[in-house]
Amino acid sequence: MSETIEKTNSINQPRYGCSLGSLYTAAAIPRVIPITHCGPGCADKQFTATAFYNGFQGSGYGGGSVSPSVNASEKEVVFGGAERLSELISATLKVMDADLYVVLTGCIADLVGDDVGSVVSKFQQKGVPIVYAETGGFKGNNYTGHELVTKAIIDQFVGDYDGPKEEKSVNVWSLVPFIDTFWRGDLEEIKRILEGIGLKVNILFGHESNGVEEWKDIPKAEFNLVLSPWVGLELAKHLEKKYNQPYLHIPVIPIGAQETSDFLRKVGEYAKVDSEVVESFIKKEEDYYYYYLENFSDFYSEYWWGLPAKFGVVSDSAYNLALTKFLVNQLGLIPGRQIITENTPEEYQDFIREQYTHIADDVSTTVDFIEDGYTIGQELLKTDFGYKPPLLFATTWDRDIAKEINAGILEIGFPASYEVVVNRSNIGYRGALSLLEKIYTTAISTSA
Amino acid sequence: MSKQIKKIAIYGKGGIGKSTTTSNISAALVEAGYKVLQFGCDPKSDSTNTLRNGKYIPTVLDLLRKKSKVDAHEAIFEGFKGVYCVEAGGPAPGVGCAGRGIITAVELLKQQNIFEELDLDFVIFDVLGDVVCGGFAVPIREGIAEHVFTVSSSDFMSIYASNNLMKGIEKYSNSGGALFGGIIANSINTSYQKAIIDDFVKKTSTQVVEYVPRSITVTQAELSGHTTIEAAPKSQQAEVYRNLARKIAKHTESRVPTPLETDQLREWSAQWADQLLAIEAGEVRGEKESI
Repeated sequence: MSETIEKTNSINQPRYGCSLGSLYTAAAIPRVIPITHCGPGCADKQFTATAFYNGFQGSGYGGGSVSPSVNASEKEVVFGGAERLSELISATLKVMDADLYVVLTGCIADLVGDDVGSVVSKFQQKGVPIVYAETGGFKGNNYTGHELVTKAIIDQFVGDYDGPKEEKSVNVWSLVPFIDTFWRGDLEEIKRILEGIGLKVNILFGHESNGVEEWKDIPKAEFNLVLSPWVGLELAKHLEKKYNQPYLHIPVIPIGAQETSDFLRKVGEYAKVDSEVVESFIKKEEDYYYYYLENFSDFYSEYWWGLPAKFGVVSDSAYNLALTKFLVNQLGLIPGRQIITENTPEEYQDFIREQYTHIADDVSTTVDFIEDGYTIGQELLKTDFGYKPPLLFATTWDRDIAKEINAGILEIGFPASYEVVVNRSNIGYRGALSLLEKIYTTAISTSA
Repeated sequence: MSKQIKKIAIYGKGGIGKSTTTSNISAALVEAGYKVLQFGCDPKSDSTNTLRNGKYIPTVLDLLRKKSKVDAHEAIFEGFKGVYCVEAGGPAPGVGCAGRGIITAVELLKQQNIFEELDLDFVIFDVLGDVVCGGFAVPIREGIAEHVFTVSSSDFMSIYASNNLMKGIEKYSNSGGALFGGIIANSINTSYQKAIIDDFVKKTSTQVVEYVPRSITVTQAELSGHTTIEAAPKSQQAEVYRNLARKIAKHTESRVPTPLETDQLREWSAQWADQLLAIEAGEVRGEKESI
């Protein structure tokens, strides 16, 4: 596994959308409508890929067929699309009610050099809650786009603040809405457990977010929590300068009682929460968790027909690291192959690699960064998963390979087209229990 | 059956006299009885003005701006002795993509088979300066023009632009693009100017098609909104343009040029700078004694 994997010149079975896909970062905030300044088809492709054939998450208040688009044609290329965008914004304001509009540019506008900033600023000057982000496809993928959009909202809408901070309040920057298939349930669980130890939590996306009012509160928070291997770090550094807000970076999204309790202790200590409050919440949650785990253990120890011993994870770094930790530490499974697929910026790769060297006190493993589906498949075929059918935590793209290596497959990342996701979570205390159900239902039904 | 149309593109640095030269070539060719279409590929859209009494014409992109489907005939205007004039046009300065505009305009005429329909002998594209992006390289891509000429003075910036153009041609030459016909040396009045251009064409394996001297006749004609051919048909300058047009009409073999690398070009121009200083100081050196 230590040999260098040669990068191909193409990406088969992509595992992310382009920067414009972060229109779903905007759409994930209650009562926010994204407006796309791009060619026809771009926004629709992002919708079908990111929000539809990825857990069938639904378009929400402002996504899907709701998001207005310039649908730029050759005319907008040659003469510039600024006028058309201005028209579209005016028309949108007449018929669509939102607390914030987020204009996202596609490749055309960014290549031609449309001055979108000046178009949008005219509306801003009139008091319209509107911001813009340049998210042309060549700027990167959803993950980089997510940071561009969040930064745009903070800089252009939330604005400056030098008032007092609210004690024990935190902004959470974690999973990326929509591209992370289970973001809704997962962010809810993060909010629930952080509130459990007495914090005021700005979760910022999804049903548990208080929408733009909550975003306006971002500068008042005592600190930022970056709960992911790298996404959100740039933003946290920006906020540190902008609002003099420190940040706590925890790369492992906690799954299961052990990791989650550790996580809460770390955050509690950082936020100077009374440790008794933290411990009493942990006790309550662990009681609940282990009640179910105890009953699950009958199955775990007695099942006669064999359970998987090894596993592979093919996903973005956030889920990859989180799952690997959980599966090793809490279920005693052996890591077979870990592949991170989101085109992690190089500057973070060594840091992430390092995390895999101490998955447990006595377990160290490696991780590869591969984007091309063909190469991923070839690497999985080469991997020795032992005699028993392994478990593969991956995506729809990896189903064929899963069959070849006789693995039970769980779709846990983009695209998850054979998975319907409503509000299920896989993380924290509660999510881990439903993840357990899913893991072992898959394991024992693979041979059915 | 339509005859073989000779498609020519003329490039050159802005302000070097491209449109003046192109319009005079067009005028000389129609005067000689050929059917010619001049296609201005510059957002300034003034390439064909002197063929039409100094008047601007609506551009292809003006028409496209108003409606999505355009009949190319609406963009074609007749000028001096029936020469057909088309201007690609472009967006307002600083917005949109002028390069894409050129592509759109050229494609529109090509799709509607205008060149064949008009039974032309010559199509001459007059293209803006440096080949800054793919759009301005369209006339040298496969199937648009066959021969490319560049108008250049002996000024180094103008020669740089010609060298850049040659780079573009060299690039497209492998994929069936246009080849290089030669340099139309403009504003050549002294022997050292001629020597500079001659040295450059030698270095780049090409040729000078014609030396065109700077002349007040040209300026007078331009100011009155005409080509020299039309305003001063009997002048010596008109004869220079007629000669040039004859050579272009006869020209059949274009070649892949060998442009200089940036470093080579710098070195080359530095050598010339030394020589020019020497000339200014009245020094006489070896083979350049004739200067």
